Amino acid sequence: MRPLTLWRYEARRAGWAALLGPPIAVALGVSAALANPRPGDATTARILLGALEMAVPLAAGVACASLVGRDPAVELQLAAPTPYRVTLLRRMVVTLGWAAVVAGLTAAVLIATGWWARWPANHGPFAGQLTWVAPTAGLGAVGFAAGAVFRGPAAAGALVTTLWTIQQFFGDLAQRHLPGRLLYLFATTRGAVPGDWTENRLALLGAAAALVALALVVLARSERLIGEEDE
Amino acid sequence: MTSQTARTLGASLRYEFRMQVRKRSVWIVPALTVVLFLLIGGSLLRDLFDPNERKGQPAEARTAVVGLAVQVHALLSIGFGCLLADRLIRDDRLRVAPILDATPARPGARLVGKYLGAGAATAVPILVVYFGFAAAYAVHTDAPQALGWALATCAVVIVPGLLFVAAFALTLPLVMPAPLFRVIFVGYWLWGNVVVPDMMPTLARTLVHPLGGYPLDALLDFHGIDGDDTWAGPVPGATLNFLRPAPTPTTAWLSIAVLLVVAAAALAGGHAVRARRA
Amino acid sequence: MRIEISGLTKTYRGGVAALDGLDLTVPTGMFGLLGANGAGKTTLMRILAGLVRPTSGRVTVGGHDMSTGAGRTAVQRGLGYLPQDLGVYPDLTARQFLDYLALLKGVDDRTTRRRRVGELLEVVALTGDADRRLRGFSGGMRQRVGIAQALLADPQLLIVDEPTAGLDPQERIRFRTLLSQFAGRRTVLLSTHIVDDIAQTCGEVAVLARGRLIFRGTVDELTHRARGRVWSVVTDGPPPAEGMVVSALPHEGGTRYRVVAPAAPDPRARPVEPAIEDGYLALTTR
Repeated sequence: MRPLTLWRYEARRAGWAALLGPPIAVALGVSAALANPRPGDATTARILLGALEMAVPLAAGVACASLVGRDPAVELQLAAPTPYRVTLLRRMVVTLGWAAVVAGLTAAVLIATGWWARWPANHGPFAGQLTWVAPTAGLGAVGFAAGAVFRGPAAAGALVTTLWTIQQFFGDLAQRHLPGRLLYLFATTRGAVPGDWTENRLALLGAAAALVALALVVLARSERLIGEEDE
Repeated sequence: MTSQTARTLGASLRYEFRMQVRKRSVWIVPALTVVLFLLIGGSLLRDLFDPNERKGQPAEARTAVVGLAVQVHALLSIGFGCLLADRLIRDDRLRVAPILDATPARPGARLVGKYLGAGAATAVPILVVYFGFAAAYAVHTDAPQALGWALATCAVVIVPGLLFVAAFALTLPLVMPAPLFRVIFVGYWLWGNVVVPDMMPTLARTLVHPLGGYPLDALLDFHGIDGDDTWAGPVPGATLNFLRPAPTPTTAWLSIAVLLVVAAAALAGGHAVRARRA
Repeated sequence: MRIEISGLTKTYRGGVAALDGLDLTVPTGMFGLLGANGAGKTTLMRILAGLVRPTSGRVTVGGHDMSTGAGRTAVQRGLGYLPQDLGVYPDLTARQFLDYLALLKGVDDRTTRRRRVGELLEVVALTGDADRRLRGFSGGMRQRVGIAQALLADPQLLIVDEPTAGLDPQERIRFRTLLSQFAGRRTVLLSTHIVDDIAQTCGEVAVLARGRLIFRGTVDELTHRARGRVWSVVTDGPPPAEGMVVSALPHEGGTRYRVVAPAAPDPRARPVEPAIEDGYLALTTR
């Protein structure tokens, strides 16, 4: 176990976007729920859970997409005995960990205030946490892997936001086939087939693990990380 | 505009275009977007090419290519904004800003050149996708007029929308981290374009609608691929209805002008921020 | 730590050959590396630091094979590396930056880390600025931070690429002395354009050109390469057309040129004693 100080440094390296993104995302989601002029319980609850299932994963995904590339001290990092990909993985864990803290606290407040239970497809207070865990891990892993492949936050961030938007705009289309249903990010608040929920959450977590593994393989080629960024 | 300013603008535009258009990601991101879109079912293609989708009645050329524009614009503008988000701050990161600032070239002209050059380069793949599908439709349905409608739609819907997005994508990362801008931009795009106005206060269907509700409605007479959608104008019970006059050709042109003025204001703001930091 | 390089080739994408069949042995102690821009010095240093993989050939450092992951990690545990283009984290103070890199180098014990960082800040004369953010540091101060981080984990192999760039003359001399004192039983590989830095610190030197080794020997042997090829000419006309002008000093009756050329570049030219810079130029400007 490495000293806590090292994790603190990596948290700073993850950047302001990783720190500010999740709370801003939750704040925007809550604002949208408050702005709903037809505060039917279920609709408002859906928007509140949507903040956890949609907004937090987007913030975490874009933050993870910004971890690879543009490290000013990359040569020093690559010459250190601590593998740089482990350092990047540590930054990803910090980023997702902070998103989890923000989402977990928000979920606790929603459970305590009864809003969680007002969305019929809430899946309970415990297993229901997969509402935000699975898409946050999934989109975070997409961002991390895209960052590793593109070596730049602009392209990786664009891919994460586009994937998120496609699933927003074409939620029904995305769920017409089983693979699409299993990889659909918003199965709790916009899920068309409730029976697929558990499989969907597990599939997202599995895909996240596979994408992180892919990213680590790509990042092992240290030469790609110095110079030649697609500027 | 003095000749020196024009030369600065021209040179900046040319080189920013060249630098941006040869970035691999400018091409890869729209390509992956289209692939993802096709993988999940590609409704726009079925609307255009599958007669069964429309009960044997293919959409007429104008409706088809305008509908195509809405989908392409709504989807690919996300990547467009995200890809442009680092273009202005990049000068500082690559340490070329002091060199450029030491030249007699006016910073404002350089900014406009960067805006137009980088924006145009990032838009090239979007236009390739759009006109590619439009041309395929024109051939498939033997309707060459589709290309004319595509050009008109591009001019009054896509270009103003992209100019609006580009101005904010360039300048907002001066005051917030670029990744945070990307998150907020996507949230805005959904909220300001797609959210139904009677659900919560939104800029959708107002004069400040980058997806081009007023030109779609009043200039192109587009009401959705099935003809039963509303793209602009007041919504009963919605807030901000004072920004939703009845759609007419005049309000459509006003809407385009509003987008361009807001874009110019964003650029002016960015210019002021840079000048204060210099 | 002895470095053995045989048949080392590195070809980048696009077919650019940075190293072309390089054979070189670097013994313990100070060793200089000279070469023009694009000669392959930085690529060689990056390969030795484990950043870049060779296209072909064999490299061992202290007996560790650099083609294996385990070998690279073993070398990196005892490595101090100062890259040519040193990047730092501008939001960290000098002390925090060194503390962070010490952690990455495996110095987990807080007390040891604090002591070592404090010592090195003293060595590079940055104790007074240790708690300022690196954003406000001058180029020379950043370079000193870079030197400090390279020495953090008491490395057995120190690879320094253009270490004196940006340093003022006093800092340069101090750094050269520091490197010489540090070398001892360790290996210090010093790459630079400043030939004088090599002359003042290194017993042995290698010269690269277009990815190949064109000289390996002592500093005296390198200097000797220019014997009979260094000329002094005083003229009020244009500089001699033949050879490479090393210096031009205003002189009574015109300008005194120091020229490296195979034969007297002017009838008035007279031979002079060569210096190491002349040897390097004689070697690289045939």
